[in-house]
Amino acid sequence: MTLDHSFDESAARRLARSASGKLVELWRARELLLQLVRKELKVRYKNSALGFLWSMITPVLMTIVFSVVFTVVVPIRINHFPAFFVAGYLLWQFFQNSCRGGTDSIVGNGDLVKKVYFPREVLPLSHVFSQLVHLLLALLVISPFLIYYRGFGVLVHLPATLLAIVLLAVFTSGAAMWFAGVNVVFRDLQELFIVIFQVWFYATPVLYPLALVQASPELERRSLEWIATALLFNPMTWFVEIFREPLYGPVLRRGTDDVISLAPSWPSIGAIGIAAAWALVTFVLGYWVFLRRARTFAKEV
Amino acid sequence: MRRTIGQLAGIQVDPSRPAVALDGVTETFRLFHERPGGLKERLYRLRRASYTDFNAVEDVTFTIDHGESVAVIGHNGSGKSTLLKLLARILPPDEGTVYTNGRVASLLELGAGFHGDLTGRENIYLNGAILGLNRAEIDERFDEIVDFAGIRPLLDTAVRTYSSGLYVRLGFAIAVTVDPDILLVDEVLAVGDAEFQDRSLARMQTYRDEGKTFVLVSHDLDAVRETCDRTLVMEHGRIVFDGPVAEGVELYRQRVASAAAPPGPRRRDARRVRVDDVALLGPDGQAADEIAPSTSLTARVRLRAIAEVDVCSVGLIVTRGDGTHLYELHTTWQGVGVGPLVVDQEAVVDMRFVAHLLAGHYAITVSVTDVSGRETWAVVPDAVRFSVAPAPGGAGLVDLAGSTAVSEGPARRLNDATQTAPIPIARLQRRRRLQ
Repeated sequence: MTLDHSFDESAARRLARSASGKLVELWRARELLLQLVRKELKVRYKNSALGFLWSMITPVLMTIVFSVVFTVVVPIRINHFPAFFVAGYLLWQFFQNSCRGGTDSIVGNGDLVKKVYFPREVLPLSHVFSQLVHLLLALLVISPFLIYYRGFGVLVHLPATLLAIVLLAVFTSGAAMWFAGVNVVFRDLQELFIVIFQVWFYATPVLYPLALVQASPELERRSLEWIATALLFNPMTWFVEIFREPLYGPVLRRGTDDVISLAPSWPSIGAIGIAAAWALVTFVLGYWVFLRRARTFAKEV
Repeated sequence: MRRTIGQLAGIQVDPSRPAVALDGVTETFRLFHERPGGLKERLYRLRRASYTDFNAVEDVTFTIDHGESVAVIGHNGSGKSTLLKLLARILPPDEGTVYTNGRVASLLELGAGFHGDLTGRENIYLNGAILGLNRAEIDERFDEIVDFAGIRPLLDTAVRTYSSGLYVRLGFAIAVTVDPDILLVDEVLAVGDAEFQDRSLARMQTYRDEGKTFVLVSHDLDAVRETCDRTLVMEHGRIVFDGPVAEGVELYRQRVASAAAPPGPRRRDARRVRVDDVALLGPDGQAADEIAPSTSLTARVRLRAIAEVDVCSVGLIVTRGDGTHLYELHTTWQGVGVGPLVVDQEAVVDMRFVAHLLAGHYAITVSVTDVSGRETWAVVPDAVRFSVAPAPGGAGLVDLAGSTAVSEGPARRLNDATQTAPIPIARLQRRRRLQ
């Protein structure tokens, strides 16, 4: 009896200690996370303000190209297309770059992983955090442009924008850790990555509003309405929607085959709830897979 | 006043428990026969790649008390480094438990995690954070690190432009300021110039004097002897010896010597002549295994002809524990041949010599060759071993039978020579270097 009792106690205590130990360890690694984020940003911006502007070239060019295509060549019925596109594209870039950095973070730092102990999750997380800093800076830069086109509603609904960013950051952290852990075992994930994200980009309503798909008579005619439904199962759809509503404004279906762009507004609680659920589940799953894999990183990289 | 990291992070040393405790620890590596492929291969292959499991560390159990300095020695691939990685938590054990008490820091590679595009200053903060220091702690140690590494003029230059020596120096400077309760060191002392090695050895000595627990993996047996109290000798993932440094180092030397047995023809099975027995006899005709310096010895070699032999030569080689050649003698060199022998005829050859040797472990290898020495017919590596007991009167390797006299000025007779024996100069010099 006594033996059983003491065993139970020590087992429970062990579990508590390992869980609290993990938290203490992560808290202690905050300095390392901060230094790694600083490193990422310094290397990326090469220690100059101009460095940051250089990194804005891709979104600006993409915005120009797609604006020409979708307002002149194949016009779609969206007010201020550049404003509509750039908001979603910055969000997408944050997600894709974080995942790409995360994928290589363990394999690319093999020397470090094999030689020094530290909580390995700081490696993928450092990419997410440095991309987050970049996203906030980029938003600051394009905000006058958005305000000019969409009015001061952009500023009024700022809390919703920030909430959307937080939820996406949680979601992205989970995804980045998953990619990092899996890439150690399956090295060709890095090559598949480009293909996966190319497809994922077009399957996310960044280039086009979701409402336009839902209102497409063409899809209905070919009985492809399921495409609109499928888009709802893409988690990124929800993050882009709740991010763009306070920043650009909702795009709604009007009649059977038309859409209308409204001024910035609060996103619906339902959409936020779905995004939050995706974020939580992805984070827990990604972290779990990562921690399981992390035990053997030092042998495999 | 410097606070230890343990205090800051809430890690306290529990003095009632040992510093390190390993219990039945096994670490298995999976050796794939082919390189494991990626997702694509997994998809069209279906079955998993074949592999062999290999235990780098097998069923290892030991404890280390606070303040002990322990050296792990062994051949390459004996599992030393894996053991250190287990202690550092880089590898979790596949079986058994690893317990460490207090803050652990490892010097497994210097400058791991440096980023070439960042300046020296930025890398100090980054590397410090990797080793578990927070900003305040690095601020506190910053000047010490910069001075130790001697990089002040290059502080704001990208480390990409540093020389490799400078790079390692900076890495070491950061690592040694971590100030842990348990320090793990793996071979890193082998890099850098002599001055750097001395400084790092001195640092290790300081750790020991401060009563820190300290585990070192090294091939530098002198360094091991200077810095550690205890050795673990590893072989094929197991600990084959655990005890005082002098014994451990000697055992390792002997193992190295026997592992590095003479190559080529010497390994061949006996041809024509077989050595049945080799005995080492003291002056009294009794078997000698521990002798005093400069004792007359007789190696009695009993051999038997397998084929008809016209004439042959018997030789002996005296080696030190680590395989150093000390003395070689063949009967032919003294104009003596053995033979003719008919099949199955026995011969006994006595080879006398005076072992002008000082304290240590020695071995005798016996061989039988043709008179030209070109063909080896039989060889027995380390046929007999003997040791020379420490004795007053001299230190070193060879007993030169010195004597002293004060030819001018007063002198005094001291009674007990061992009590007054000073520390050998060679050791003093090493110590001085360390200070």
